[in-house]
Amino acid sequence: MNIWRRLKTGNIRWRLTIWYGSIFALLLLVYVCVASVLHYYQLKAQIFHDEIQDLETAEGLLYETPDGSVHLNEQYFNQPEMPFRLERMLEVFDEQGHVLLRNAKLGERSIDRDLLKQEGRKSYNERYGRLSDGRRVFVISHVHRIDKSVVVLRMAYETAPVFNSLWSFVLRLLGLVPPAMLLAGFFVFNMTKVALSPLSTMVRRAEAITAAQLNERLPIADPDDELGATARAFNDLLARLEASFAQLRRFTADASHELRTPLSSLRSTGEVSLQRVRSAEEYRDTIASMLEEVRRLTQLVESLLQISRADSGQIVLQREVISVVALMDDAISVVEILAEEKQQTIAVECLEPIQIFVDRAIFRQVVLNLMDNAIKYSPLGGTIRVAIRSRQGGLLEIRVCDQGPGIPKIEQTRIFDRFYRTDEGRSSSAGGHGLGLAIAKWGVDVHAGKLYVDPEYCCGACFCIELPLASSYAVSV
Amino acid sequence: MTASERGRRLRGSQKRRILQAQACEALRRMNILIVDDERKLNTTLRDGLQGEGYSAVSSFTAEDAERVLAKEEFDLLLLDIMLPGKSGLALLRSVRSEGHKMPILLLTALDSVEDRVLGLDAGADDYLIKPFAFAELLARIRALLRRADVMPANVLECAGLRLDLAGRCARRDDVALELTSREFDLLEYLMINRGQVVSREMLARDVWHETSRYTTLDNVIDVQMTRLRKKVDGPFELPILHTVRGIGFILRA
Repeated sequence: MNIWRRLKTGNIRWRLTIWYGSIFALLLLVYVCVASVLHYYQLKAQIFHDEIQDLETAEGLLYETPDGSVHLNEQYFNQPEMPFRLERMLEVFDEQGHVLLRNAKLGERSIDRDLLKQEGRKSYNERYGRLSDGRRVFVISHVHRIDKSVVVLRMAYETAPVFNSLWSFVLRLLGLVPPAMLLAGFFVFNMTKVALSPLSTMVRRAEAITAAQLNERLPIADPDDELGATARAFNDLLARLEASFAQLRRFTADASHELRTPLSSLRSTGEVSLQRVRSAEEYRDTIASMLEEVRRLTQLVESLLQISRADSGQIVLQREVISVVALMDDAISVVEILAEEKQQTIAVECLEPIQIFVDRAIFRQVVLNLMDNAIKYSPLGGTIRVAIRSRQGGLLEIRVCDQGPGIPKIEQTRIFDRFYRTDEGRSSSAGGHGLGLAIAKWGVDVHAGKLYVDPEYCCGACFCIELPLASSYAVSV
Repeated sequence: MTASERGRRLRGSQKRRILQAQACEALRRMNILIVDDERKLNTTLRDGLQGEGYSAVSSFTAEDAERVLAKEEFDLLLLDIMLPGKSGLALLRSVRSEGHKMPILLLTALDSVEDRVLGLDAGADDYLIKPFAFAELLARIRALLRRADVMPANVLECAGLRLDLAGRCARRDDVALELTSREFDLLEYLMINRGQVVSREMLARDVWHETSRYTTLDNVIDVQMTRLRKKVDGPFELPILHTVRGIGFILRA
């Protein structure tokens, strides 16, 4: 019961040992059976062969007396080389089936029953038979001519000694099975220990790895075997975990830092206000200023929540088919007033009507963030160019270019990092917390697109959205 | 019906409810029960609502709320979803199954679509996500308390300002105001809520139709308000558009 349970569960070493031992034992048993059967047939053939030789000898020793009776000269005893000292039993019949002679060993017993037809004429009729007292014997028969009369000889050897020998052979073979099994089990048990030892090392090391020390790696004993591959896979997993933990830590630290600023200004506003008695007007002013900070905090928390939802994949896109131009017009209608304030022009260039299949709210957000950014960094009276076109390879390209100071090459990828800010605070756009571009990038990424800064553009910053068109259509149709 | 559809429907009917409410100013004191385990918020809301002329009762657990509800009739229930012990949703269901018909406004920090749908399906009439502006809470309460349907007015008037909603034209003291479409929407919204503070969040959502809470249109709204004020108040003696610092804007004669 216990072993059966272990075969299904339990540690690999025991399971391997038990399975291997069982299969080994089965094979040994089959081997013993086959060997015994072969041995039996060989023995039988040998016995009959010897018996025939013996019969031929006995035939030469038969003689007939003038009174017609037959005798055996047992003085001459030519025992052939036999594995068993089997004593011959001989019975002689005439053609009518009358017993002419029984030798001394046979005594009063008879071999087998009445004569068969043609017995001993064409072959020796090798067979099993029984004496009249029931003992089992190997019987052969042969027809022999003595002078003028024809007689049939039957010779018998007892089977018991032969079968005893066979049985002891089988027993000896079977006796070897348990020690062989034990030996094999012992070897397997120890070999699996050696083979699995890298695994136990890995387990010990893995147990020691916690979130605090994800930089640890599992040892790779042999990079080419299966355990090595396993360890490599685990190490890759650890590396990815380490990277995301590091990102999470940085994010949490940055977020806490960002929260600290509005909190501390809230606190000091309140504290300063309570230092002495003030007029109602002053109190109103303080409370209003505190509420403004609370608004900043609230918006920051909403942005953080949005990002953490995006990270954990909780946001489900509600895609619909919309016209890019309509979407851009909608976004521009929201922010154009800001451009007007700076006497900026927003030039939209779109040569073809293009439909996309996106989540309207998220995509609108992306465009709003980019537009807001462009307006913020373009100088007074500048122009913001928005170009929409479809490109080869089933891509939609939206470019939002401003006439601002541009983004140094080195910052062009980092600008999408959360809370990343250039010296001028460029990415602190719509969100106002260095999250605007991070959210925009996420919004493009979830639509299987790309958002990047065009490194070629030289008269300002140019943000470029690439969105696969073909797949968008495929889904929408 | 999805949560956002309900939301849109509620906001759509908000206009005429408020119109109707202002038609009959003589209201009896409305009785409001506030169920929220956050004591500070609860008592602040109670004081605020009482200051607005409502009669408000605080309750800190669902069990206590059930006792209070058994004794007294309420016109509206403000209900927090996450309560210790019996949850707000469970209370909501039992209140509805006992046949109470009063409107219920959920206050919740959970803002996923599923949470909102769950609340609305359990029998709530509206939801407000924490942290919310008090001005917005008042607006929602007003909307919920005035349920009778009346024909919406086509013309709004206040302090010589006259808005023709059908013709989409505005005049003040018989001077035509040249308003852009967005400015007209903004002014209409302020007129409907005249005498009440509206927050920037309310404007972003109802005038600019911005659905995400983390998008801030503060600068857009501020610039738009400045421009609107130039047109509405600039040439006239009496200013009616006021900024309430830290809260939002108000149209008041």
